[in-house]
Amino acid sequence: MFRSNIVACGIAAVLSAALPAAGQAPSNQELEEIRKQIQELKDSYESRIQALEKRLKEAEDSAAKAQSTATQAQESAVQAQQSAQPATASPAAQQASQNAFNPALSVILMGSYNNFSVNPANASVTGFLPAPLYGDALGPRGFSLQESEITAAASVDPYFRGQFTAAFEGDGSVSVEEAFFQTTALGNGLSVKAGRFFSSIGYENSVHAHAWDFKDPALVQTVFLGANFAETGLQLNWIAPTPLFIEVGSEIGAGTTDPGLGLDTGFNRNGIPSWTAYAHVGDDIGTGGSYRVGASTLQTSTGNNPIPFADLDQTSGMTNLFSGDVRLYGLDFVYKWAPDGNPVDRNFKFVAEWWYREYAGNMTFDSATPAAVIQPFTARQQGWYAQGVYQFLPQWRVGLRYDRLNEGSISTSPTGVAVPDYTPWRAAAMVDWNLSEFSRIRLQVQQDRAQQGVVDNQVFVQYIMSLGSHGAHKF
Amino acid sequence: MSAMKRATFSRWLAATAAAIAFGQSAHAAVDVFACEPEWAALAKEIGGDKVSVYQATTALQDPHRIEARPSLIAHTRAADLLICTGAELEVGWLPVLLQTSGNGKVQVGQPGYFMASDFVAKLEVPKAVDRAQGDVHPYGNPHIQLDPRNIALVARALSERLAQIDHGNAAYYQARLKDFEGRWQKAIGGWEARAAPLKGMRLVPYHKDSAYLIHWLGMEEIIDVEPKPGIPPSAGYLAELLTKLQAQPADAITRAAYQDPKAVEWLSERTKIPGVMLPYTVGGTPQAKDLFTLFDDTIDRLLKARKPS
Repeated sequence: MFRSNIVACGIAAVLSAALPAAGQAPSNQELEEIRKQIQELKDSYESRIQALEKRLKEAEDSAAKAQSTATQAQESAVQAQQSAQPATASPAAQQASQNAFNPALSVILMGSYNNFSVNPANASVTGFLPAPLYGDALGPRGFSLQESEITAAASVDPYFRGQFTAAFEGDGSVSVEEAFFQTTALGNGLSVKAGRFFSSIGYENSVHAHAWDFKDPALVQTVFLGANFAETGLQLNWIAPTPLFIEVGSEIGAGTTDPGLGLDTGFNRNGIPSWTAYAHVGDDIGTGGSYRVGASTLQTSTGNNPIPFADLDQTSGMTNLFSGDVRLYGLDFVYKWAPDGNPVDRNFKFVAEWWYREYAGNMTFDSATPAAVIQPFTARQQGWYAQGVYQFLPQWRVGLRYDRLNEGSISTSPTGVAVPDYTPWRAAAMVDWNLSEFSRIRLQVQQDRAQQGVVDNQVFVQYIMSLGSHGAHKF
Repeated sequence: MSAMKRATFSRWLAATAAAIAFGQSAHAAVDVFACEPEWAALAKEIGGDKVSVYQATTALQDPHRIEARPSLIAHTRAADLLICTGAELEVGWLPVLLQTSGNGKVQVGQPGYFMASDFVAKLEVPKAVDRAQGDVHPYGNPHIQLDPRNIALVARALSERLAQIDHGNAAYYQARLKDFEGRWQKAIGGWEARAAPLKGMRLVPYHKDSAYLIHWLGMEEIIDVEPKPGIPPSAGYLAELLTKLQAQPADAITRAAYQDPKAVEWLSERTKIPGVMLPYTVGGTPQAKDLFTLFDDTIDRLLKARKPS
């Protein structure tokens, strides 16, 4: 095919050159001349093509031999590349089939054995999160499957990349954790994300469960942001053109009215009920250390669809409805260190975050009964955690975390139910064993004093297995 | 605002404006982000004073395992040209830099995305990949820098790429390449002559990162210290390796500056096989100051370990 095309081109070229020159009907001698020329041309191409094919064959043979013997392969392959250009592309590139464009696919398997000294079905966070929501976040007793995560990611075209992450829960329910596209070609440090994505506020919020340094997220992360707050909307991110890392960004979207409860907005109006803003600054310190500090805010509104609000004393069984604004403000700090900046043998990571949450609006107290009362409501609460993880051997890491919430000030209930005066806290220690970059087995012990009057001693044994394409993790 | 305060403020404003202007376009040089020291060195050889090179990692860092640090993102954002090894060596961190940087010039497929391993024939391309084999690289062994003939191929491609990005200085890059090629070919001749006694030398590298060196100099790779690529040897595996090496002696156990010395020292002590730290890249040893001394020193260290037979 290739050869006959060349010959045809050659014939055409010769004819077009020869015919006008003759000016009139060519004589027999001229025709003979042309035939001869064509034959010569054909012969010359034939021989050159044969020579090329021979060299190609030789190069391929020697390259194949080199696979096993690893001798001379390089020179001949390189020669072959130079002489017979695209013929000997590297073998990986030769897999020309439809699945060559398949997205990078990875699967995360996670599960744990959980031991609680107190039944988690009754676990709550006093002043913050009622049962059974907190217990659900902690997981059941005994063996349990945590979320199984599937991620597919690829370039869409030269202008966009896309990513899809679905989480399959142990009970069979599926959630779309992330499904977004992101610009790659805007330049000037700008990128836009659209779809559903983990919000870039704070630090732990955008970290997927398999990359957490402890089995469970920090208490403040669970209570204020429901493990990972995902925005469904748009994100604009900008990196400043400075040697110092400066990143600012903002997101708008459907949000959730109460990220901690993970409730849908029910915001059935046109418009944007939720927005965020964040800024990060970071740099290296010496040869082995680097840090990032950040400040964030998340602001959502219930619109005219009030959300159920935990009965404040956790015991009265009242149902209250809140409508108004929920505003979060946070500060985060990450520091990582490794000798000479080489984390393979030893490394250290420290993370601390502080969050402040404000409810401002109206509360319908005891909404389910005729005694319902509507009155202005505010709650100002905060929480923080600090954790350190040290890898002391190539396959072993240990970590400590301290977690605390501050109940702050809450408008009191008109029905006279007192808001309990209590400061929930937890302390955790973990050790994990990483046989390779792709597997992790973790033991975590935690004392949980989230609920007033209850001391829950927890033990978790967890596995995290990564299958498929090699993931890249953020700082 | 007092007069002095105002003066300080306006100075600060001017400095900030200057910094932003500088960051954007005031510089003439091509901003190069080099993932590994060898490519930083090569960029300087070919680019001369027309490039400004940021070296992302040092010879003391394992290029497989780099944190996508804020400073790396900031420098990726500023880059006109990214020079990395490719073949998935940087798969654990480079994608994060690209996605976060907001820099369209260095994305996959753009002229600013230059993967050195695309321009050489790779060794050890696996027929089938399975992580049961460890952290194998599906596109072949990415540690291409220890065969100087690969460096020559990459140098040529790099000069073409620089000329594409910075047309105005195309002739300059061409001339620098020519000069480099002259010196490099001469050096290769010298190295091959000096390294003649290394032929047939039996090596035990820590990781599968010496394949190209071994292939170039006709040495032999007996076994690696790592049981599988990317998996550190356990005490049990080291004991097994000890028995193997006692039965089938090697000439040297080699490692890079960033690899754990303990396993190599332990084996070397018991087998009496010399443990050799090789520079692996520019800056890996005090002697390996540039690409030329990298190979000088690599051969020196191997010759020193080679027992006269």
